[in-house]
Amino acid sequence: MIEAKDVGLRYPDGTLALKNIDLRVEPGEIVYITGSNGSGKTSLLKLFMGAEYPTMGSLKVLGQPVVKGQAAAIRQLRMAIGPVFQEFRLIKGRTAMENVMLGMRFLDIPPGQLKKNAGDALVKVGLEHKAHSLVENLSWGESQRVAIARAVARKPALILADEPTGNLDKDNALKILELLTSFKDKKTAVIITTHAPHLIEGEKDAKHIRMEKGSMNWERLG
Amino acid sequence: MKNFFYNAAYFLKEAKTVIRLNLLSNIFSLFSTGLIFFILAMVISCWWISAQVVKAIQEEAEINVFFDESIGDGDVMQLLGKIKGIEGVREVRVVAEDEAYDRMAAILGKEARVLEFFDDNPFSPFIEVKIYLEKMDTVLEELGTLTGIQHVRDNRAVLDRLRNIAGVLNSLGYLVVAAVGISTLVIISHIIRLGIFNNREPIDTLRLLGAPEFFIAFPFLLVGLLLTLGGGMLAAALAAFALKHVYIQMAGPLPFIPLPPREALVSGMIIVVMSLSAILGIVGSLFGLSSAKSN
Repeated sequence: MIEAKDVGLRYPDGTLALKNIDLRVEPGEIVYITGSNGSGKTSLLKLFMGAEYPTMGSLKVLGQPVVKGQAAAIRQLRMAIGPVFQEFRLIKGRTAMENVMLGMRFLDIPPGQLKKNAGDALVKVGLEHKAHSLVENLSWGESQRVAIARAVARKPALILADEPTGNLDKDNALKILELLTSFKDKKTAVIITTHAPHLIEGEKDAKHIRMEKGSMNWERLG
Repeated sequence: MKNFFYNAAYFLKEAKTVIRLNLLSNIFSLFSTGLIFFILAMVISCWWISAQVVKAIQEEAEINVFFDESIGDGDVMQLLGKIKGIEGVREVRVVAEDEAYDRMAAILGKEARVLEFFDDNPFSPFIEVKIYLEKMDTVLEELGTLTGIQHVRDNRAVLDRLRNIAGVLNSLGYLVVAAVGISTLVIISHIIRLGIFNNREPIDTLRLLGAPEFFIAFPFLLVGLLLTLGGGMLAAALAAFALKHVYIQMAGPLPFIPLPPREALVSGMIIVVMSLSAILGIVGSLFGLSSAKSN
């Protein structure tokens, strides 16, 4: 599903964000990436969704090499990923339902099915009663759940969640992690970044990557 | 393509949202394109009217052939036949001196009483030759070779001037069409760029979700099209109203000007303005999209 060999990322301003990244993620796996701010967690996720390109090494996501100059293939890759962005990136002026549907409109899904998938996803995140509320009227936690619904409604092969526990107390953070990991199945892998490693203590059957200054260390949890 | 039809309602809704997010600026843009198209509509109408007037006058192009009055009726008929045979002649007939007198009396109207000062009819009979204007030189040359002709009166100076005026109006028309086209393209592409700038965050999000470029761009294209079509409709309505009043004003003091039927003129003008607004809307939006993308 993801295969990275000696991947590195240097931004145009010269900052080395990632170095020597070697990892392999298989379908059905849950992977936590932890590390302090600036350790390279978000940069790594950006590489996985084709928002940045490795400047060193080679990276394949869902069988697609992540390289510059292959816009159509990268677009196809992004269509197969369910991203939950750190700042949610919900589109204002639209309802929760519209936001969830928007993530699927270009995926060859008939209009009837589109609405059903969006409705089901909102039920899964417990927000069916807010389906027709404008996203700017939702609380932080509700907005986050809409962002998760948008990601999972697409039935992606890979869910990438960037700092979904940021700004949440421990109880709510654990609930969000539980919700996200519930979408793991035989075909779907879930990758979650968090700067709070204590939240994943006791997690079983999950991989843990600890990031530090752009480098990674593997740890087996549970 | 299937996606496109599934999302038709979404595209329209998005276009509406893009317009709503910048409502005031879009309203001003609609009015300014409307005014530009109004100028275009009036120029096109004047263009058509002048072309119609010139055509009507050209169809009346004639030269008068005065023959030697000493020749007999048989010779006049023979001359008539020869003139009829010249290439470029449409119609030939003899105008007797009484008819010539009556025509002048009709032209002078109340002033026709000056003709009463003459003891006899001062007019001579002549041959009225209707010609195809473009063949005027050939006809005049051929007439010069015929015997029995005393004098030929052509209206070349008037006809040439008319042709020049039509040419100037034509050039002016093209100039205005070009100016309107460029102004509309600039306005629309600027609006689209502004719309894209205001929506850069949702656009980025859609890109990260894997949305194709056409899916992202189409609502903006629709905005450009809707604004220019709105401007075109406003211009067409204003121009139809203005033409109605122009026709009423011209019917009284200038009845001899052969105006085209108003209904035909207005419907033709509406078709041209709406087609141009649609084309310019699409092209302007594409310019806006491509310049926003390259930035």
